[in-house]
Amino acid sequence: MNVLPLLQFSDATFPVGTFSFSNGLETAAGLGLVHDAESLAQYTRSAVLQAAFSDGVAALLAHRAALAGDYAAVVAADQALMRFKMNHEARLMLRRMGKKLAELGVHLWGDDTLIGRWLSDIKAERTPGCYPVAQGLAFAAAGLGERELYASHQYGVANMVVSAALRCVRVSHYDTQGILYSLAGETDAMYEQARDMTLDGMNAFVPEMDILASLHEKGNMRMFMN
Amino acid sequence: MNQRQYSDAPAVDFDSAPEMQPYLAQPDAMYVGCPGKHGYLNLGFELNKEGRSILRELDRRAPLIVQQELYFDEEMPDMPCVYILSSGGPNVDGDRYVQRFTMRRGSMAFISTGAATKLAEMRRNYSGMTQEFTLEADSYLEYLPEPVIPCRHTRFICDTRIVADPSATLFYSEIYMGGRKYYKDGELFAYDVLSVCSHAERPDGEPLFREKFVIDPARVPVRRLGIMGGYDVFANVIVVTPPDKAAAVYDATEPFIDRERHLAAGITRLPSGAGLLFKVLGMEPGPVKAVVREFCSRVRLAVKHRPLPPEFPWR
Repeated sequence: MNVLPLLQFSDATFPVGTFSFSNGLETAAGLGLVHDAESLAQYTRSAVLQAAFSDGVAALLAHRAALAGDYAAVVAADQALMRFKMNHEARLMLRRMGKKLAELGVHLWGDDTLIGRWLSDIKAERTPGCYPVAQGLAFAAAGLGERELYASHQYGVANMVVSAALRCVRVSHYDTQGILYSLAGETDAMYEQARDMTLDGMNAFVPEMDILASLHEKGNMRMFMN
Repeated sequence: MNQRQYSDAPAVDFDSAPEMQPYLAQPDAMYVGCPGKHGYLNLGFELNKEGRSILRELDRRAPLIVQQELYFDEEMPDMPCVYILSSGGPNVDGDRYVQRFTMRRGSMAFISTGAATKLAEMRRNYSGMTQEFTLEADSYLEYLPEPVIPCRHTRFICDTRIVADPSATLFYSEIYMGGRKYYKDGELFAYDVLSVCSHAERPDGEPLFREKFVIDPARVPVRRLGIMGGYDVFANVIVVTPPDKAAAVYDATEPFIDRERHLAAGITRLPSGAGLLFKVLGMEPGPVKAVVREFCSRVRLAVKHRPLPPEFPWR
């Protein structure tokens, strides 16, 4: 396996702007709902689960489409994920990070690639440019497999939440690393379920997170963009 | 003599849904699709010559029943109001229902159910329902059914398709109880699976959004922070409406988490500029229904410039 690119694309400092987002954690912390390692672990688990059968599925399908050279299927995954994202700020986040990764992809692999074509369609507003789809394209371009893609994607979601937690919840690095490590052990089981899913089958159920996101969307309390 | 009788209602088949795979056996009693277990409802509203909305089309198969439309809304006395009833009591193992609602150009209507929809305990199969809402130009529909109560080992799957003209408004609400909270020692989230999908498109086929949630409490603990947390009742409200109406309602609606009343609500904008999504969490159906009705009143004010009347005291 191509280990170093996998580490590079999963790094918390990978320049797609992850640090600007908290997945609603800021509001949950502000209200005291997330206040210690245990509540942070629960919240992170919910965020990971929300992504597991929606964003994660779109990433897998985009990756397979890229390997097959099927550009229409890349766009279909992109558009289906955008229509599935009910939360307005989540849509903004996916688009912002997706475009950044596409720009980086063009820098790494050139214009003359699937990712180059996709970036020009994003700029022309012919496709939304969701981050998980960008990850699918980047992993395909780097020769990485879909199991690694899925793991990296899920890790990214968890890492985004716990990194934000270090700035707004009273937890230590020991706590956050403990949460990441225990979630890592559950990712393969999620992949086994997600790998056979279709775009129409994408699903998520996190109503309390949705309400927190809505409070953030309309509220004044913000350090993060979501 | 042994040949099985099937209802002539349109087919409903969720047998290929991954979440229903463990539940495909024939029920021990009445088989899937037999008359009485395959309900059908087709309601069409339109304007009559005087410009009044009427229920023009009504086709039904047991156990779904709708009687004639009534005009009981004191704020909108010209709006036909219809209650959907089920002669069979709860939805049982192997039930299949189809509901179709068509709003012709410029018409309006209010639809609810006569009582809570109980989803019975199931052993072999599941209960499935498909719904279609078609809204022509400038039409207006409020769909506010009473809560759904899933029991132990309930399996329920529902697919709702919305086809809406850009000028039309649909207020579509669903309230899901955690279970029979006060039955015996209390029964919450003891059901097997609830799978709910709602998707919308324009009349030319342009897709707008697709929301799906699958709740399988044995697989994912719903009590987790971020999912149901400490709440027992969940309401999901989809409002498909033009952007100017959506903006007015969005600006007038404040999301909240009320810890004393254990009640919370959030609002966001649907993808594709299709309208709004409103979610409510609470402990009991009464306060959740009240929040949903208050929100509906805001939508009605933005679109029809009238509020909702107070709820009947017996509801």
